[in-house]
Amino acid sequence: MSTPGGGATAGGAGARHPLLVPDRRLRRRKLVNRTMEATATLAALVAVAVLALVIASVLIKGVSAINLDFLTKEPAPFGQSGGGIANSIVGTVLLVAMASALAVPVGILIGIHTSEFARPSVASSIRFALDILNGVPTIVTGIFVFGLLVVGHVQSGYAGAVALAIIMLPIVARSAHEVLALVPSSLREASLALGVPRWRTVLTVIVPTAVSGLITGALLAVARVAGETAPLLFTSSIASTMVSTDPSKALSSIPVRIFELSESPSPAEHAQAWAAALLLIVFVMLLNVLARSLFGRSRARIARTR
Amino acid sequence: MARRAEPPAGPALRSLSRAQRGLADRLGEPGLRALTWAASAAGMALIALLVYKVFDQAGESVSHFGLGFLTANVWDPVSRRFGAASFVYGTAVSSLLALVIAGPLSIAIALFLTELAPRRARRPVATLVELLAAIPSVVLGLWGIIVLAPFLVNTLEPALHSAFGWIPLFEGSTSPFGLLPAILILTIMVVPIIASVTREVFETVPGDLKESALALGATRWEMVRMVILPYAKSGIVGASILGLGRALGEAIAVTQVIGDATGVHASLFAPADTLASRVASTYQGATSTLEISSLAYLSAILLVLALIVNVIARLIVRRSTLRMRRAGPRPGLAVTTAEAEV
Amino acid sequence: MTKNRIAVAAGATALALGVAACGSSNSSPTGASGSADTLVGAGSTLVAPLVSQWQPEYDKKAEVAVTYGAIGSGGGIAQITARTVDFGASDAPLTEDQFKEAKGVVQIPWALAATDMAYHVEGVPSKLKLTGPLLAEIYEGKVTSWNAPQIASLNPGVTLPSTKITPIHRSDGSGDTFAFTNYLSHISPEWSSKYGHATEVNFPVGVGAKGNSGVGGAISSTNGAIGYIAIAYVLENEFDFALIKNAAGQYPEPGIPSISAAAKTLASVPANNEVSIVDPPASAPGAYPISTFTYALVPEESPKAKTLKPFLKWAITEGQTFGPKLDFAPLPAQVVKADEATIEKIKS
Repeated sequence: MSTPGGGATAGGAGARHPLLVPDRRLRRRKLVNRTMEATATLAALVAVAVLALVIASVLIKGVSAINLDFLTKEPAPFGQSGGGIANSIVGTVLLVAMASALAVPVGILIGIHTSEFARPSVASSIRFALDILNGVPTIVTGIFVFGLLVVGHVQSGYAGAVALAIIMLPIVARSAHEVLALVPSSLREASLALGVPRWRTVLTVIVPTAVSGLITGALLAVARVAGETAPLLFTSSIASTMVSTDPSKALSSIPVRIFELSESPSPAEHAQAWAAALLLIVFVMLLNVLARSLFGRSRARIARTR
Repeated sequence: MARRAEPPAGPALRSLSRAQRGLADRLGEPGLRALTWAASAAGMALIALLVYKVFDQAGESVSHFGLGFLTANVWDPVSRRFGAASFVYGTAVSSLLALVIAGPLSIAIALFLTELAPRRARRPVATLVELLAAIPSVVLGLWGIIVLAPFLVNTLEPALHSAFGWIPLFEGSTSPFGLLPAILILTIMVVPIIASVTREVFETVPGDLKESALALGATRWEMVRMVILPYAKSGIVGASILGLGRALGEAIAVTQVIGDATGVHASLFAPADTLASRVASTYQGATSTLEISSLAYLSAILLVLALIVNVIARLIVRRSTLRMRRAGPRPGLAVTTAEAEV
Repeated sequence: MTKNRIAVAAGATALALGVAACGSSNSSPTGASGSADTLVGAGSTLVAPLVSQWQPEYDKKAEVAVTYGAIGSGGGIAQITARTVDFGASDAPLTEDQFKEAKGVVQIPWALAATDMAYHVEGVPSKLKLTGPLLAEIYEGKVTSWNAPQIASLNPGVTLPSTKITPIHRSDGSGDTFAFTNYLSHISPEWSSKYGHATEVNFPVGVGAKGNSGVGGAISSTNGAIGYIAIAYVLENEFDFALIKNAAGQYPEPGIPSISAAAKTLASVPANNEVSIVDPPASAPGAYPISTFTYALVPEESPKAKTLKPFLKWAITEGQTFGPKLDFAPLPAQVVKADEATIEKIKS
């Protein structure tokens, strides 16, 4: 159809090589391509814009309500203005700390078990069961812990912490397993070849190599659970308005407080809800960023050991 | 004469005598094994106990209503008749429609991040999307009540009604509470999850496959359509089902905006209720054992649904992550899968 | 490198614990120092505003810290039945079944208020006139727009828009639901047979919200909404409220005079202290038709009897002085007398 040499000589100014002139089919394909690219870009930008809008709303509306009073005072009685969420802040810190104390050690131990000691078939059954636990809706976890620890007793910070720990456990365990599995086998083999017994290999070689990944997993689990409301609804919601560090009674928490404030008709309470939401988001985001930066460095470290 | 080779002693053990070190070695191995085994056993026992307790509490309602509970569209504490139909409907519609909207959006975001965006924009946008997965649901619900609901009532619902009012989905009058705000909030919740996992999957598509397609003259969209999407198909499906699992179990954000109404209505503007949301609003105040048991029955249904969906998603995602792992370690891998399964 | 990261994590933990410790040193007494004792109660959102006034006052007076969770009257009944709280609070009296389940709980009417019909319709002023049967029809879904003839005929001279009526109800177990549906059951045989009255009822139409606070939120965010809500919340948020025709044909404004007028129709206090004053007879021309007592639910045998009894006694006497600014009417003398007799019976 077109001769390679002929094109160079044929025609004068303005004529293009036949191969380079787009025919109708090519033009259509290019149009489709441009349309799809534009659609995808537009869709992505719209989606990201909406997501960013949520954060922006919280930022803008929350910042105006945050002040020192808000952080240090307790809620005001009905009908009075002012007050803060000091009791909820302390309560959340306590609940999350207790839940972590429960879930992180157990989760890491499970991770060690499935990646180091268990037979592959057993390990995959355990991981499957953990997946099941991870898929349990948090409201159901709340009902479970209510039936287990509140009925016959009272609501308590302990019950709330246990409910949160149950949610954290599969996250910590799974990420621990994956990080430990990433440690190169050459490290394991070298250690064992030197005669170090299995258990010391695990404790002194493998776990330290993976430690920032383990911490990352723990931090992500904490970030996840700090914002959970459903598990605390039935286990730790009838709480004092006064700041309390007594886990044998229910502890107030920031997510539950936001939940209560969000349904109110009062603009003052809405403002408090936004401020509490801002606090919560900042905390959760900080944890996520910290986890991410830790994990990045851990990856680099593991890569260097290859 | 030949002394048995001593394993190198770490700082903790150097202070012990040889005999003590031997004892530590002999105890340590079975000790650590037992400890980790016990942790796993405790975890498994916990799961079994949880499932058992929920089904046990549902027992009275199950024996009273049987399987007819699933199709009975009623919730009447006065006449003591309870049924799950309207909540199963609410859960199904809200989650599936959220998925229908979130799926294409997430794929678009993932494509944008891997193919279309300028390099410098990729990291910040990707981080933004991943961080958005971390927003607590109660905050989304708060945003839904105060920002989204007025927008729906004043702008979106009238627009949908005037344009598509002939479809039963958009019939009826506007309301700040209903299926539509719940669907939109679930969409917002689920997009970061699906987008993150999908992006991971897209990044593992072998570069040479993509480049071959382009070299053969395919446009970028054709390359996406012929190479990336088919390669990532199972990963996308897995990610979507992960998102579905998340949406199914959401109680708090949904109960804040859905309007708590029993009954099956076609219109998305009408108030409705889901399994999780009904349990969250009513469980604490139920005063008859039959009602409490029926709420546990709702929880059991929800549990079964969520577990089936999560397990399917897990299997599909695991298959595609195994394929990814063979391709080599990638930044953020364990991190993303850990948080994707929220 | 690992040490750095461990240090960071340890630092973060220390910070968290430090905040907690700070919190604990600021902490108002929770039994450790200051307050000698604590009481935990839960239930009615109607009485919650009054209880929130009581908490600091009673702490000052008797050094008892009262914790109260406003989870709805249904929750109050459920929690006290399970004995997970020291006292429950409910605007709905216990049914026979609930008494049986609760195994030895007494109810003590400790405050008197009303359930208003608040609404939010753009262009419509407050104090619209409505009747009980009309309310029943609204909640049954039979009257669906604000300019319906049934409403217009009661309110000549008011321009009513064609906005759709959205009836708001409670999604949680609620004593206000009980009071409202009790009233509807009195004046509408159809409502009584189809839907009945309880803390939780199968409302055929409308939107549900959690707590009196949630109903308030739903009303204020929905144009065309009408909902039953405790009077203290109407006062606090300055909602528009309806005037409801009572048995004498009058439209008394909900408030302390009309609530007290309703309470005066109480002939005597029965043995189980169940005092219902909805739909008072025509002999009380100024009575508000949806007035309601609210009860404290207390175990007859309670380990906290020594702390509970003084608290309850204080609530029905001195505590009542904090009521009027929230539109709680003072308890009638015969109710106080019956209460005191019941309180005496509580033992540890």
